[in-house]
Amino acid sequence: MTVEEKKCHDLTIVSINGSLEASSVPGFMKSSPALTDSQSIVIDLAGVDFLDSSGLGCLVTIARKKREQGGDVRLACLNEKLRRVFEVTQAFRLFDIYDDAESAATTAANK
Amino acid sequence: MDTFITMSFPSEISYARLASNAASMVAEIFSRQVGIWEKRQEFCHAFELSVAEAFSNSVRNAANPETDGQIIICFSSDQNELMVSVRDTNPAFDPDIPAPDILSYPDRGYGLLLIRQLMDQVLYSRENDMNLLSMIKKAG
Repeated sequence: MTVEEKKCHDLTIVSINGSLEASSVPGFMKSSPALTDSQSIVIDLAGVDFLDSSGLGCLVTIARKKREQGGDVRLACLNEKLRRVFEVTQAFRLFDIYDDAESAATTAANK
Repeated sequence: MDTFITMSFPSEISYARLASNAASMVAEIFSRQVGIWEKRQEFCHAFELSVAEAFSNSVRNAANPETDGQIIICFSSDQNELMVSVRDTNPAFDPDIPAPDILSYPDRGYGLLLIRQLMDQVLYSRENDMNLLSMIKKAG
């Protein structure tokens, strides 16, 4: 799994490539300070081909910690497999989900 | 149902993705054989994710992760359904734990929920001091 960052409208977009699952979650959480600080971010999941419950749990944890500190996390580009995970677990109730990362960043910046 | 594939993996989380990829490929072969067309992706994803969850649970539940051995995965089928069974030597567990309350931001507890929702039937038993979790999905 690889993680890349870029800035868009003063927000950090964190892009993940690979599988976000039990064995890759620990490395992912250490991959960027943006995942754990108080700033709002967008997580671009376009390159994620597989998400399991550990990966979902880590996204939920990021959202909880951000919101406890006054920040937020938005998700973008979920493929059909990822959407199924969010639907089955009802996790879509916790996130604003966008079709592309730039729209997520633009909407967040205009709030 | 006839068992046609048996695989054995070390009980380490780094092998979970290998096991789940294998499950997806077995489901792909089965779906072609029995003619699942429109819902093939969904069918294969159900096996990919369910095996990943069962495997991760098994690794986490190991009484002694340093020494606890093998996770055995078997596939059985007939014309109507595909079954995958995950067997380990861990202590018994409760397969009927309630679904987590998503609005409380739980960081875990989604695995068995996903398995139950994606599969048509989930059976748990203890046999010869081993856990046996069998997950069945119908072709139609």
